Amino acid sequence: MNNRGGTVSIDPRRTAYVPRPSDLVVGYIEGCTSNIWFVDIGGPFNAILPMSLGPSKAEFGGIRKVLDIGDAILCRVQEVEENHSSVVTMKGMGLRAIRSGSVEEIDPHLLGRLIGRGGNNLRQLKEDTECRVVAGDNGRVWLDGDLDGIINARDRLNALLTEAKIDDFGGEA
Amino acid sequence: MSIPLVPNLLRAHLAELAAEDKRHDGRGQFQGRDVELEINCLPRAEGSARVRMGDTIVLAGVKFQIMTPYPDRPNEGGLMCSAEVRPVAGRNWEAGPPSAESIELGRVVDRGIRESGCINTEDLCIIPGEKAWQVILDVFAISDDGNLFDAFGLAAIAALRSATVPAERFEVGEDMPLDVSKTPIMCSYHKIGGRFVYDADKREELGGDERIHITLGDDDHVHSLQKGLKGIFTAAEFAEINEQARSRCAELRDLVNNALEGE
Amino acid sequence: MGGYGDVQCIDENGIRLDGRTKDEVRPVSIETGVVPVADGSARIRWGLNDCIAAVYGPMEAHPRKIQRQDRAVLDVRYNMAPFSTTDRIRPGFNRRSREISKVTAEALESVVLTELYPRSKIRVEIEIICAEAGTRCAGITAASVALAHAGIPMTDMVVSVASGKVHDIVVCDLNKEEDNYGEADLPMGILPNTGELVFLQMDGDLSPEQFQEAWDYNMEAAQIIHKEMVRALKGGDE
Repeated sequence: MNNRGGTVSIDPRRTAYVPRPSDLVVGYIEGCTSNIWFVDIGGPFNAILPMSLGPSKAEFGGIRKVLDIGDAILCRVQEVEENHSSVVTMKGMGLRAIRSGSVEEIDPHLLGRLIGRGGNNLRQLKEDTECRVVAGDNGRVWLDGDLDGIINARDRLNALLTEAKIDDFGGEA
Repeated sequence: MSIPLVPNLLRAHLAELAAEDKRHDGRGQFQGRDVELEINCLPRAEGSARVRMGDTIVLAGVKFQIMTPYPDRPNEGGLMCSAEVRPVAGRNWEAGPPSAESIELGRVVDRGIRESGCINTEDLCIIPGEKAWQVILDVFAISDDGNLFDAFGLAAIAALRSATVPAERFEVGEDMPLDVSKTPIMCSYHKIGGRFVYDADKREELGGDERIHITLGDDDHVHSLQKGLKGIFTAAEFAEINEQARSRCAELRDLVNNALEGE
Repeated sequence: MGGYGDVQCIDENGIRLDGRTKDEVRPVSIETGVVPVADGSARIRWGLNDCIAAVYGPMEAHPRKIQRQDRAVLDVRYNMAPFSTTDRIRPGFNRRSREISKVTAEALESVVLTELYPRSKIRVEIEIICAEAGTRCAGITAASVALAHAGIPMTDMVVSVASGKVHDIVVCDLNKEEDNYGEADLPMGILPNTGELVFLQMDGDLSPEQFQEAWDYNMEAAQIIHKEMVRALKGGDE
């Protein structure tokens, strides 16, 4: 247990994701108006993706042809406003709609373990499974490649989670 | 229950897996998750069971009350099945009046038990026209990781079979086991990526389509059927899952019998 | 609290119906992770009480009208399962559950750092699977562990316990008969690191000296239970 400036914490084995500017995240489109998408990024509240920051412009009434409800996207947190609503953007290198592969969810505090020092673990995982592995800061990990590679990558991810639980607790979690 | 967001990617991925005869957690098409069954685990209930299928955990309790028989059925007692998914069981289960999903779940479980005739309400009569037993079965989800139907069905029948009629506490005689003449078991099949699989977990349910629930009794007698959600299936598909259900129901029935013998 | 009838809650040797002396707490055991799909969860077995608490969140606060601009709201539900008591409880709205949900939320809000998650909500679901006096205390205690398990920052956990009086003797941690027949009931919610309080109710009749005795019993019991809470969170292999 630690005592930190009035807060007692027991080294939580889980942390809730709170968005910060420039976070890379995997989001799901939950809804939209004629020119804004609402994105679930796994935090306490949804983020906004204005059409101007989206992948392309849509003609009026055609926003869902660009990104539909239920679609997954790779985006970056642009800003977190005073009232704590966040804006995400898809303008940037590598940001795009996710149309293939699978998204797994892990606890954000395990990202360090997944990525490894200097990114070693992540690099190794990609090589061994021949998959694209993109780890979002919100704990959502995008796996893409051929099916066997994805299954392999997912198994290794699960193994990592089990390992982490054992290390944290020296027994059953 | 609030309608969960269905990620389109998930559906596509599950379909891709199905095309290669794979499931996302490595199970076979008709392979179920590990099942744990514990009976007589609730000290204040007259019969009880706890079922765990993967991370889906369900409790069932049997309580007895004395009732006055209905005027048109003076020699009969009653059986009431109440199934609830409380918000504790998952992020998508919200407080408030029961959702349509919750109600369907309750009614399907109730029919599976009641329609099998495993409880004869005439056996529940104490004094004709005056007193009879009302058997109340409460099934309660604690954790929802998919396939609540089968977990509820199994917990319900196991609880009934473990029940003792509390005649002494109500001063109407001696305690005796509740007479349950058969063991109906429910098996549920979800269409995922174009084919039916057994014991879908939450992810598969989320990305899947229609489902079929089959309740079979001893000797493979069919006791209840329900098709849920939107989708079309063929006679051949049904024949296949009916066949699968026979062997799986038998396995689960053995599980119940063994648990009771161990008591 | 009714008359005793011929129930003797504590005998001439100071032994209670469950074998305890007047200052002993019932056996308590706590586990975490009992609701695998929740963000955090805990189970407390305390005497015959069996209580599960699960935490979901922080998440978007729906409906909008419950949102607060400056902090998260705690959406707490306390419920007793139909088979938790000797006489079955009909499911559905229950005034007692509503009151307990409210005081539980207020106790927990006093320690959760809600300012960290404005406009969101944190769900706390408390289910009593089996009841034996002190269910509201078991609920608050289990909820604290579940919140910690979920990684929700708090200034301290809340330990709740109820002492009381039977046959004019003050006893620690009331059991079922003592709760039904006894002369006083003092449940408290205590912050174990400072001894401060976030929850307090009382029913019955206690002299100033007896009140102090019951208060002290609760404080001591809180320390014992707190050890078990910490042990459970650390995984139990210490």
